[in-house]
Amino acid sequence: MSDRRDDFLVLENVKTHFDLGRDFLTRKSKGVVKAVDGVSLTIKEGETLGLVGESGCGKSTLSRTIMQLIRPTSGKIWLEGKELSAISDRDIRDVRKNFQMIFQDPYASLNPRMTVLDTLSEAIRTRHPDSKGDDLLQRVSELLRTVGLNPAQMKRYPHEFSGGQRQRVAIARALAPEPKLIIADEPVSALDVSIQSQILNLLKRLKSEMGLTMIFVSHDLSVVRYISDRIAVMYLGRITELGNAETIVDDPLHIYTKALTSAIPVPDPRAEHARKRVILQGDQPSPIDPPSGCNFWPRSPVEHDAQMKETVPEFVEIATGHWVSNCRFCVEPTATSAS
Amino acid sequence: MALLEVEDLATHFHTREGTVRAVDGVSFSIDKGETLGIVGESGSGKSVTCYSLMRLIPEPPGRIERGVARFDGQDLLQMGKSDLRHIRGDRISMIFQDPMTSLNPYLRISTQLIEAQQTHRDIDNKAALFKAIEGLEEVGIPDASNRVKSYPHEFSGGMRQRVMIAMALINEPDLLIADEPTTALDVTVQAQILDIIKQRQERLGTAVILVTHDLGVVAGNCDKVNVMYAGQIVESGSAEQVFYEAKHAYTRSLQKTIPSLQEKGQELYTIPGLPPDLTKTINGCAFHPRCPFPKTGAAETGRPTLKDVGDGHCFADCGYCDSSGSIEDVLAKGDTDDIQLPGEGVEA
Repeated sequence: MSDRRDDFLVLENVKTHFDLGRDFLTRKSKGVVKAVDGVSLTIKEGETLGLVGESGCGKSTLSRTIMQLIRPTSGKIWLEGKELSAISDRDIRDVRKNFQMIFQDPYASLNPRMTVLDTLSEAIRTRHPDSKGDDLLQRVSELLRTVGLNPAQMKRYPHEFSGGQRQRVAIARALAPEPKLIIADEPVSALDVSIQSQILNLLKRLKSEMGLTMIFVSHDLSVVRYISDRIAVMYLGRITELGNAETIVDDPLHIYTKALTSAIPVPDPRAEHARKRVILQGDQPSPIDPPSGCNFWPRSPVEHDAQMKETVPEFVEIATGHWVSNCRFCVEPTATSAS
Repeated sequence: MALLEVEDLATHFHTREGTVRAVDGVSFSIDKGETLGIVGESGSGKSVTCYSLMRLIPEPPGRIERGVARFDGQDLLQMGKSDLRHIRGDRISMIFQDPMTSLNPYLRISTQLIEAQQTHRDIDNKAALFKAIEGLEEVGIPDASNRVKSYPHEFSGGMRQRVMIAMALINEPDLLIADEPTTALDVTVQAQILDIIKQRQERLGTAVILVTHDLGVVAGNCDKVNVMYAGQIVESGSAEQVFYEAKHAYTRSLQKTIPSLQEKGQELYTIPGLPPDLTKTINGCAFHPRCPFPKTGAAETGRPTLKDVGDGHCFADCGYCDSSGSIEDVLAKGDTDDIQLPGEGVEA
């Protein structure tokens, strides 16, 4: 496993748990939320990894854990050979200029009392502490131009921009420290469809122009397919399937991925009426006391027996680059696309 | 006769910044058992249309300026408050977008489901509870006889939305208005919820108005579709007509922006600019400034009205939505670079 550390970003059995504390009277433990429960991943430089799953599957916690905004309970994370999970809280701020995050809600993630100039200058100074005056202004203008905003608007406050423009400012801020890795947590979910496509185009362009590595988190598989090279599907804190974007969307192996892909409504009436859906039972169970064995059994639409609840499936490479949580009930040996 | 006929509905909001013409002359009709989809971006007036029909617009600042909404011969917009209460929740019911805020957190589900029945029917507690449990079972809530005693916070989002549907359908309404019923939910749960609505609709013959911004949801669930833009319907017709033979430049542009329809390597089409400011009078087609089709001449006065182009397929033709021209050709010629957005920055 040692050579894996030479890759750009390596996650090794990362777990992030939240302790709910003890009951005041009985002193009994209220339980532990296992938001991320053993994730191992390798991301190559320049790649875009899509992370999909339902709300509550741990995809946001995982991205915050990579950002070291939440420290992992156990497991290790390496970025360019440096072990992030071992760096102290004080020193992590220095390193964080190498990896930046774009948040879902551009209304909440920008400081309403700071102009765009202030916001961006602060971010630029993490990389160039001595930048000031004309040099700083020039850097800010350049950033704004990169994200498709007019540099003349740099003295404005966030409320003077529309949602799409605000998300552009948030992207500019993430780019300001010249990071190598960008984690985008649902960057388009809060936007209207027509604005969404503008931001997707922008992210795609930036990625190819600047050679950024990106983790793109979303619950919308069609958006993720469009932007990602590879897709990881998360369920209850674990990765159930990982592979090329096309393979995951068009030819998934795991029954959960099939359910996800078949649940996406397609804007085409004839195709929509013709297709067969894998409809899951109920909702995602609570991560406080996650189901044993293959954690998918309470919702599985396929027949299964007690064995499914007992054996934790292995995460195996079933074809080159295509990994799946190999539960014999969820993955049919003669799997063909159900959608 | 259609179950509901809406004619020239206009709802304006009188605010300090001016009069917002949120809905400005909307006409449509819906038959028994039919599903009508209303699509559009946020601010296009789709929710306000529904709230107006239910007379749930906060007045002031809102006011229904004009229009007729004939439901089974009666005009909903002229009806007195007490008559309206007899219809609301009984013959017309509504599912709201956010199931977290539309259930009363202080009351058990059973209390809320029983109240919904006793408001309209002479039914005793026991029978009403029995019907409530039956209703919950039908929308797929496991262990309904015990779960009915729970409070809303004990349910997950998907389960709460099921409770909302059970409540909306408990009096077997003739018309169900669903305002973005699945927007707050995950895709897997969305598929379940839409399935339930469809099943119940087939059994009861309910007419459904489904409001959504997701063209995919419309494609799979609606018979007829209204596309709204800036407070008016710009295109309407059967789902097939609107999806395969879209005429209006807005409908066609919208379809081009959806990632799932586009090839991966291709750049997504972006509609330049922003929707118009509804406090200002709009001359000519509201989509005119963002329209990809070549424009010549000055904008006409007044907005174009819906014209039938055959088989009930209507669109607001301003003369420039060149129906024979393919949007691909226009886009291939045009500059779709997202850096120059003429409308951006004009706002605020």
